[in-house]
Formats: sequence, structure tokens, C-alpha cells
Amino acid sequence: MARASSTLRLEPLRHVDAGPLNVAYHEAGPANGPVVMLLHGFPYDIHSYVDVAPMLAAQGCRVIVPYLRGYGPTRFRDEATPRSGEQAAMGADLMALMDALSIQRAVFAGYDWGGRAACIGAALWPERCRGLVCVNSYLIQDIARAMKPASVMQEVAYWYQYYFQIERGRAGLAANRGDIAKILWKQWSPNWDFDDACFERTAIAFDNPDYVDVVIHSYRHRYGLAESDPQYADIQRRLAALPQITVPAITLDGAGDGVVPATDGKSSAAKFTGGRMHRVIPRAGHNLPQEEPEAFAAAVMELIGGRHG
Amino acid sequence: MGDAIDRRRRLLLGAALSGMAAIDAGLTAKAHAQAKAPAATRTSVLRRLEPLRHVETDVLSIACFEEGPATGPAVILLHGFPYDIHTYADVAAILAANGCRVIVPCLRGYGETRFRDTAMPRSGEQAALGADVIALIDALHIERAVFAGHNWGGRAATVAAALWPDRCAGLVTVNSYLIQDMSRAMVPSAPENEEAMWYEYYFQLERGRAGLATNRRRIARMLWEEWSPDWDFDDATFDRSAAALDNPDFVDVAIHSYRHRFGNADGDPRYAELAKRLAAMPPITVPSVTLDGDSDGVVAAGDGSTSAARFAGRRIHRVVKGAGHNVPQEAPEAFAAGVMELVRA
Repeated sequence: MARASSTLRLEPLRHVDAGPLNVAYHEAGPANGPVVMLLHGFPYDIHSYVDVAPMLAAQGCRVIVPYLRGYGPTRFRDEATPRSGEQAAMGADLMALMDALSIQRAVFAGYDWGGRAACIGAALWPERCRGLVCVNSYLIQDIARAMKPASVMQEVAYWYQYYFQIERGRAGLAANRGDIAKILWKQWSPNWDFDDACFERTAIAFDNPDYVDVVIHSYRHRYGLAESDPQYADIQRRLAALPQITVPAITLDGAGDGVVPATDGKSSAAKFTGGRMHRVIPRAGHNLPQEEPEAFAAAVMELIGGRHG
Repeated sequence: MGDAIDRRRRLLLGAALSGMAAIDAGLTAKAHAQAKAPAATRTSVLRRLEPLRHVETDVLSIACFEEGPATGPAVILLHGFPYDIHTYADVAAILAANGCRVIVPCLRGYGETRFRDTAMPRSGEQAALGADVIALIDALHIERAVFAGHNWGGRAATVAAALWPDRCAGLVTVNSYLIQDMSRAMVPSAPENEEAMWYEYYFQLERGRAGLATNRRRIARMLWEEWSPDWDFDDATFDRSAAALDNPDFVDVAIHSYRHRFGNADGDPRYAELAKRLAAMPPITVPSVTLDGDSDGVVAAGDGSTSAARFAGRRIHRVVKGAGHNVPQEAPEAFAAGVMELVRA
């Protein structure tokens, strides 16, 4: 299948009230097909799945691609709701969206923030999850160990996370959200030759009025430097135990990922108890679904077809 | 990570150098002519600045290297982070051969310099670094000297020149006027500049403190490589300086320095009055030579115009070809020439 042109948009969008949000999402494929939730990361948007979504729809899946909180046309329903970007909120949003759409079970597939949301959904609500596809394996954050330094090269790659800890970083993100995102795209996907139109198509999602608040909260919370939204306290408490993934899972690493280096999957093996395959995709960077849509879609279809697990 | 560094460099240099043609082609030849020290000083990369003498100030026992005739015009050579006195291994020899009395102190937190009192706050704030310079020359009974430095040392030199101009015969700095404008610390810079400052943001967190304590050499080496992309230093050269980072106060002083400048750490009350004067961004009234390395990977070279208003006295600005952030060690002739121009003025 040919790659979508970088001007193609995932349209039309639908809107549904789900938990604290009014979620904007794209839907494709037959309404009675097996459901796949495709979850994007930071700083990206639903167009990470511009090729994956039609591939899966063409194979009979019902594909749901939501804008995460803080991105694109998704909005908080109440001005007073804290603009939390914590991991528990991302997982809860996934469940609230499925509830709102009356979807009982689905494959959860994602990368980066979206991969974390998928892991959380799979770990805490396995009865709702038919299978998990995740880039960079197990992504639930171990906040209790957040102050333990990583290798220097890894810490350098996290420069934006440290920048976002201070108000200068918040102001910088607000003023330069597009330029910061473009630097991260290039660093994280050094082999991906995206063009301006491709970047701009996604970058307008960062103009969401809650983008800066959600992003800053997300990166402070994971270091224990921002308060949780109390409504997610119970979920976060369960996540602190780093729960296992019991559903069938396929994990993918991009061999060219510039922020989370590819692994052989072994260090996270104990977290997967329901059957797990790990693959390293040559050349792919961090935005694996957009860079290597065939490999990502194939993993989803393997879980749908039940040939795995 | 090599790719990331290259990318960072391109971003930095592309933005800064477009349209600028301020390379001083005559500088190297001129420096050689003025500096009678043989070119062989460059090859003796493993020269150690020894022996060190210890000078007691009110706060510190400062370890200093001294070279040159005791009666010569005094030059204080101030190193930066994460470097040490060996930034001046060649510069010191060149200046001494030209008749200068050269003093090269280990800054607070580096090498053999120690705090005299365990209860003394391990401040890394700019006022403390400037005050240390004056305390040092007081203790040595030096009335006036050229202050020359880069990075933290350039800041110390700028602070001391601004607040004690009667003690300063001239100022040589890399990256021009280095007094921090704390009132603008929360104003973001261009994203590519912010990325180059990753370590400063990292150090705001306790994770960064732990990382610096655990990986000080790896962090330092990465910064050397990022900041001086064209400098082909070897392991022995790095190790000679990196030993200074094992100072028991290094982590505390470095973390305090990088937090204080963002308003995330309190100043030592002892320096409150100086800090207040620095907040006014005082001008430099003494003769000055400012140098930028044209391949500096952390502070992009400029034509000096943005800081021109800060220099009320005579000031010459030069871009040093092929040099990165550690200009004195990478281009010792050019740095020494800047000092000698002020000594002879």
C-alpha cells in the first residue's frame, strides 16, 4: 500500500463526551469489525496513524483514533478540571472513550504517551483489552525511582523533560511549541525524511488551549514534582506497583529511535505474562506507526487474527 | 549521539554565523609575533601546572599555580565549568615568557581549593566567584591585574572588573559580557539554545545532582565534546583536568551555581550586597578584549554588537577561527595575545 500524501488528513472527525473530555476522534472501517484504539504520543497527533488506520480498516477493523487530552480539537468539558498529563489520566481517558462509544473490547495500540495509555489500559482493565501493541515495551512509569539518574547519553536525550521542570521551559514551550516539536521529531527519528507539510499537518494540534498545561504537568508529575489530580489517585496507586500485562502483546522498537534506544526486550520480559513478541524494526525511529505503518499494522492484525497468544 | 551533537551544532552555528564574516585572519600570526614562547608549548599537552601554592582568603584556601617574574604585570587566569587550571597550561607559559606574573587559581569547588569552614555555604553564585578573585589578589598583595577567563572564570573576571575597576588593568573574556541578568532568567531562548543547555536544566532536579555526582566525568566529557566540536583532545588531556572535578565541594558548588542563576537557590547572604549591585548589570569601564570561538557549541559566536553597550571603555571583539568554548586551551596564542595587548596598553 502506498504511503498517504503528507497533505491527506484523517477526516472526518467525530466528537464524543467521555469522562472529563469532549474527545475528537477519527473513525474508519466497518462498525461491526474488531475494534482497534490507536493512541498517539508527544509531540505528535492522530496523523501518526494516517497510513495505519486505512490499512487496518481495509482489513475489516473498526479503527478509533482519538486526539489525546491537550491535543487538536479535544477539549476539557469543565474549565475547573485540572489539566493533568499524568499517566493515570491517559489510561482513564482510554476507558472513558470506550465506555462512551459502548466498545467492550479492543486492541490497544500506541507509542510514547499513547503507548503508555495502552499499557495502562491493558494492565488495569485486561477484560477490555484484546491485545496490546506498544512501541518501547512496558511504559508504565516507576515514579518512585524517577530521581535515579540514567546514562549521560539518555539524560541528554531527555533535555526537554528537564527544561519543562522550570517556568522558563513552560514559557519556552508556549512560545516555541512548533520549533521544539520539530527538533524532537528530528532527534527521535533521524532516518525519517518528513517534509514541512507532514510536520505542519500535525503541528496545528499543539495549538490546543490545554496543550502547554497538559504537557508541562505530564513531565513534572513523572518526576514527582507536580501534584496528581485527586480523581486519579486510586489508579496511580495501582500503577505504582508496576502491574503486569496479562493480555497478548507485541512490542516494537525502532532500530533508529533517537530517544528510547532499541532493545532486545529482555529487560521488560517479566512484565508480560500473557504471551509477548518483541521486534526491532530496521531504520524506524520513535514515531514508528507513521514511519513504518506496515510493520505496525501487521502487529495489530496478528493480535486480531488470534495467531498470537 | 554524535549525530545529535552535529545537529545541535548546525542549528547553533547556522543561526549565529549567517551573514557574519568577522574572522580575524591576522590574529594568529600577530599572536605568534607577540608571544615569544615557542610553538612547542602546544605539543606539551601533558604539562601539569605545578607546584600549587595555597592562599588563604576569608572563605577559601585557594590552590594556585604561579609562573613568571614576581615583579611582572599580574594576570589572573580563571577557568570554567567543567574544566580546570589546565585550560591555561599553554597560555600561562606564553605569558610568563613575555614577562607576566601569572596566577592560575582553582575556582571554589575545583581541584585542591578548599572551603576553610565546613559550615560555609557551598555557593556557586556569580557574586561569590567575583569576590573570590578580589580576595585572592588581596591575599597576594596584588594591587592591579589583568583578569582573564572563560565560562565561570569569564564571569568571575567580568564581575570583578565591573565592581572593582580600580583593581583591574584590563579584562579578557570569552563570550563577552557574562554577568547574569537574573531578572530575565525565566525568559526562554531559541529552542536549539535551550537544548544546548540541557545540563543546566538537568541540574535543577535532584536527579541531576545525583547524575552529576555519579557521572561527573562522563558529563564533563560530553560537554567538552559538544562545546568544542573541532577540538581533538585526547584522553590524557581530559583526564588531567577531570581530576579537579573530584573536589569534595564540586557537586554542591556546581548545582548551586546552576540553580541560583534560575532563581531556584538562595544566595549566600555574605554576597547579598554584591548580588544587588550585579542585578543592575554594571558596565565594564576597563579596557577589554572579548573573544568568541567560531565553533563554540554552547554559546554561539557573535560580532560583539549585542553586548557593545556593556563596555564603556575601549573594547576589541574578535572571533577566533577553529576554536570552541575552551578558547584558552584550544587557541592559546590568540588568548595570550589578547592579554598581552592589555598588559602593554
